[in-house]
Amino acid sequence: MRGALVIAGKDLRNIFASPLFYVIAGVCCIAWTILFIVSVAAFLQPQMQMMSGADGMNLHFTVFAKHISLVNLVMIFAVAAISMRLFPDEKRQRTFDLLLTAPVTATDITLGKLIAGTVTAWALVLVSLLYPLSLVFWGHLDWGPLACSYIGLLLLVACYVAIDMFTSSLTQSTVVAVILALIFNVLLWFLGAAADASESPLQRQVFEHLNVSTHYVNFLKGNFSVSGLIFFATVVFFFSFLTQRVVESTRWR
Amino acid sequence: MIEVRELTKNYGPHKAVDRLSFSVKKGEVVGFLGPNGAGKTTTMKIITGFMPPSAGSVTVAGFDVFEDPIEVKKRIGYLPETPPVYGEMTVESYLKFVARLKGVEKSKLSAQVERAIEKTDLGSVRKRMIQNLSKGYRQRVGISQALVSEPEVLILDEPTVGLDPRQVAEVRKLIKDLAGHHTIILSTHILPEVQATCERIIIINRGRIAAEDSLDGLSRRMSGSARVHVRVVDMKDSVVGDLRSTPGVQGVVARGGGVIEIDTDGSKGITPKLAERVVTAGCGLLELREERINLEDVFLKLTTSEENQNKGATL
Repeated sequence: MRGALVIAGKDLRNIFASPLFYVIAGVCCIAWTILFIVSVAAFLQPQMQMMSGADGMNLHFTVFAKHISLVNLVMIFAVAAISMRLFPDEKRQRTFDLLLTAPVTATDITLGKLIAGTVTAWALVLVSLLYPLSLVFWGHLDWGPLACSYIGLLLLVACYVAIDMFTSSLTQSTVVAVILALIFNVLLWFLGAAADASESPLQRQVFEHLNVSTHYVNFLKGNFSVSGLIFFATVVFFFSFLTQRVVESTRWR
Repeated sequence: MIEVRELTKNYGPHKAVDRLSFSVKKGEVVGFLGPNGAGKTTTMKIITGFMPPSAGSVTVAGFDVFEDPIEVKKRIGYLPETPPVYGEMTVESYLKFVARLKGVEKSKLSAQVERAIEKTDLGSVRKRMIQNLSKGYRQRVGISQALVSEPEVLILDEPTVGLDPRQVAEVRKLIKDLAGHHTIILSTHILPEVQATCERIIIINRGRIAAEDSLDGLSRRMSGSARVHVRVVDMKDSVVGDLRSTPGVQGVVARGGGVIEIDTDGSKGITPKLAERVVTAGCGLLELREERINLEDVFLKLTTSEENQNKGATL
């Protein structure tokens, strides 16, 4: 564990010292800002307010849910770009030899990379939280659903990090890593669609459990679901396990 | 300190290391000499725990490399062929990272980083980013990295590659200074390097040990001295003492089967004098042969004859 923290610390320092991270963060913020302004403006139009009945419209569902969905979409790309350098850089600079001959295990190396990637991605997600929070002075915020949907978002982003860390461990090239990462991230969303194609009820049930959007929408609606938590944790664990095997395999390949 | 027994490593059908056995005592500096592709790097990588052997065992300080890899790795500082440095880090922060990674205690951390910087003379570039350093400096950062945890064992893979002559001399001096405190294995294919730094030399070729000798033995050969092989019918004890007292003789070893090996300083006329002594002792001289060789010859002879043998075996 000590080794994992040392590696994570080094990676974090290098990520936050590189221009790449700030370019990614800047692009993300531009996308978020444009959509957020548009949806807040739409929300404020009187006819929209009238259509939704006496209570007025719900800020959470009309503005924040849209914003969070966009953050999720942007993170599919952003996490791929952040994680693409986790392993290829070590391999290209031959520093992987240093890690493998240091008194740390393959699990430490994997865990260190996972921590570094997750902290970076979560930092971006927390920046996106500033948008909903900025409305605290002008409107009434539903803290429950907002917190719940952000917890869901953080878990989902951690899944992307684990997946993208795995794809980056497979190759020496950042380009291959980023392309594989995007394919895997998008595939995660299509996994649930197999439910419609399956005939046996058991198969159907299994795929419905693997449906990311069911779990994600649950969190978005403000329902904290334990099954969702377990699902996301399983994805993170599964891909971290695969990465650990890949790291270990460099010893005997 | 290091025990290598029957070490074998296969890359598919290719045998990179073939039943290699040797041991290194505490504080010794051992040179690994061999042509490119002889299996030097593979052997070193196995000792450092980077990869497992196909067969055989390695123990470092009593710990088996594959049962207690963490304990072994704590005791080893390793410089691979390419120095494993992060371009975007400064020299100082990089060394701190390596020290932490190797498990150096917090209280000793900055002192040991200072020492490593001082020993490799990196003080003037400590705040510079490694990617902006020249190849020679990077190599020195690599050596510094191996030293920073003050390991008992240092394994240096071609430590002077890419350095200018002055730096080469400095690194050799550094290695000599480190001897005694650390047990050092270094590999090279440059002959004078071994002579300048090592106490014992292991020449390997095609994954096998072709020769093992002390620096004294080798430098005797290098200074143009000669070895005389004598074979006699009847070995008498008196003849050995007789030969030893002959002026110009450095050492006499009586081997089985009536063979005597005499190391001489190579001075003129010594061989006939030795022949005379053997004859007067009445041992019945069968064979007398003079060998005059230097290290280059030893190296070439050992590495090429093995090759021919192998060729013969496959034919």
